[in-house]
Amino acid sequence: MKLDRFKDPGEKTLAAMLLAPAFVLLVLVVVYPIGRLLWNSFFDLRLSGGGAKFVGLQNYLNAMQDADFWNATWNTVLITLITVPGALVVGLCLALLANLPFKRRWPVRLALLLPWALPLAFVGLIFAWFFHTEFGVVNDILRRLFGAEPTMWLLTPRLAFTAICGAIIWKTSSFMALILLAGLQMIPKSLYEAAEVDGASRWQQFSQITIPMLMPSIVVALIFRTITALQTFDIPVTMTHGGPGHSTQTLAMLIHATTIDYMNVGYGSTLAVLMFVLSLFVTGFYLKRIGRNA
Amino acid sequence: MNEMFAARGLRLLAATIVVVNGFVPAVWILLTSLKTEVELVGRPITYLPHHPVLDNYVRAFTDQPLLKYLGNSFAVAMMSTAASLIVAACAAYAIARLNLRRRQLILTCIVASSMFPLVTLLVPIFETMRTLNLLNTYTALVLPYTVLNLPVCTLVLVSFFQSIPRDLENAAMIDGCTRLGALVRVVIPLAAPGVFTAGILGFVNAWDEFLLALSLNSSASMRTLPVGISLYQGEFAFPWPTISAALIVAIVPIAVLIAVFQERVVGGLTQGGLKG
Repeated sequence: MKLDRFKDPGEKTLAAMLLAPAFVLLVLVVVYPIGRLLWNSFFDLRLSGGGAKFVGLQNYLNAMQDADFWNATWNTVLITLITVPGALVVGLCLALLANLPFKRRWPVRLALLLPWALPLAFVGLIFAWFFHTEFGVVNDILRRLFGAEPTMWLLTPRLAFTAICGAIIWKTSSFMALILLAGLQMIPKSLYEAAEVDGASRWQQFSQITIPMLMPSIVVALIFRTITALQTFDIPVTMTHGGPGHSTQTLAMLIHATTIDYMNVGYGSTLAVLMFVLSLFVTGFYLKRIGRNA
Repeated sequence: MNEMFAARGLRLLAATIVVVNGFVPAVWILLTSLKTEVELVGRPITYLPHHPVLDNYVRAFTDQPLLKYLGNSFAVAMMSTAASLIVAACAAYAIARLNLRRRQLILTCIVASSMFPLVTLLVPIFETMRTLNLLNTYTALVLPYTVLNLPVCTLVLVSFFQSIPRDLENAAMIDGCTRLGALVRVVIPLAAPGVFTAGILGFVNAWDEFLLALSLNSSASMRTLPVGISLYQGEFAFPWPTISAALIVAIVPIAVLIAVFQERVVGGLTQGGLKG
């Protein structure tokens, strides 16, 4: 009897059985940690020794007066503000170029896929090599073109920041381009033909047809990119380790250092909660804008 | 005639820009990896290697346990992708096919989990893995990676399941298959391309992950490729020749994978992206 029921369970039982593993995993790896994180943020908790001591909001008060926290937050916000629009513009250009009717599509497609598939950490290493003071190709090109003296890209705060943003834009613009390219290919050709008949210029076609029709893809790409930009970690770690000083340290790097290197789980959790709030705030802003547009 | 020629030239220029932009970093590292150390520290720098040598590749494997890193990356990426596919396939089938009242909400819940910043999950995951003595084990990475890949795998599989005609499944059930039987014998084989696409995306994600791998598995024998290579230490300076050779070794498997299956990868990416 029991065996029969197992063989052909009712639709509801089957659905519950099939969905259970996914939800158990989500609870274990996402929901429980978020709860644990909130809980820990009210404690003075160090893995190096000593028990947890409840300190209420003290960690949060400390964070508000922590220059490192504000520095890392500002760097993270700045990286987001620079690289998200940057990747959108570069990605849109790449998508428009890649959308031309080529006979062979694969070289172009592979050229967009390769930066997406490269680990961020590798991109950081490769760009660190590009910007190397003595043996980097960037300084060599500057020297050949303008006779410029070698620039210490990664050892000067502002230049290091610029180099990091450049690496992030290169890495992320190709994913943008892939999403936008799919959007471009869904725009019906007849729209352009009709515009042509009405005498619309190329620019008018672009601004009146392409951009509005592409808007849904742009919004999706922007949301993805912004969420990942707020988590920037791999590229600054491999390019500068946050230096010189703390000039390129992001929030994710500060949380990582506090928790893993200094084993200060209580304070690290507090910083992580603050970062969580920041990203909720940004996601909420986007969703609200989408709601208004829709 | 002239105009056609100009249009072709323009297309060629456009293709060149995109291709150069995409390939230059990898090509530059390839050229670097073939230079001798003497050539590499000479001024001015050279572009093409004068006497291409493979010494750096030999040293990439002998100076550091690169083979071990490769093995670790493969093991972790394979196990987490397989686990993710099984869990996602079950969930996606329920969402796409069964009579659920809140299917959209369930899908949104699964997808929304990818909106949480990974670094906020890092602190409690690190603490838990440490308590359970799981730091520096495959489990420490396979478990979180499986969950990280759930959203994209589920999205891709839901749309594949939806594209399979219901009649086929019904026919199998009329012929005496149970629902589970129909799932295993009809739906899964037909959804194989989708499973494959989701698998590639999951594999690349796991292969590329850095933050958790660096934090949870930092002991020398348990490092994955991104962690292992970025922690390479030279005797005097950062060993760029060996690093570039190691990078090429690490890039080749993933480059071959996406080159062979590029249409699927693009399809999966844009599907996952546009529906999410």
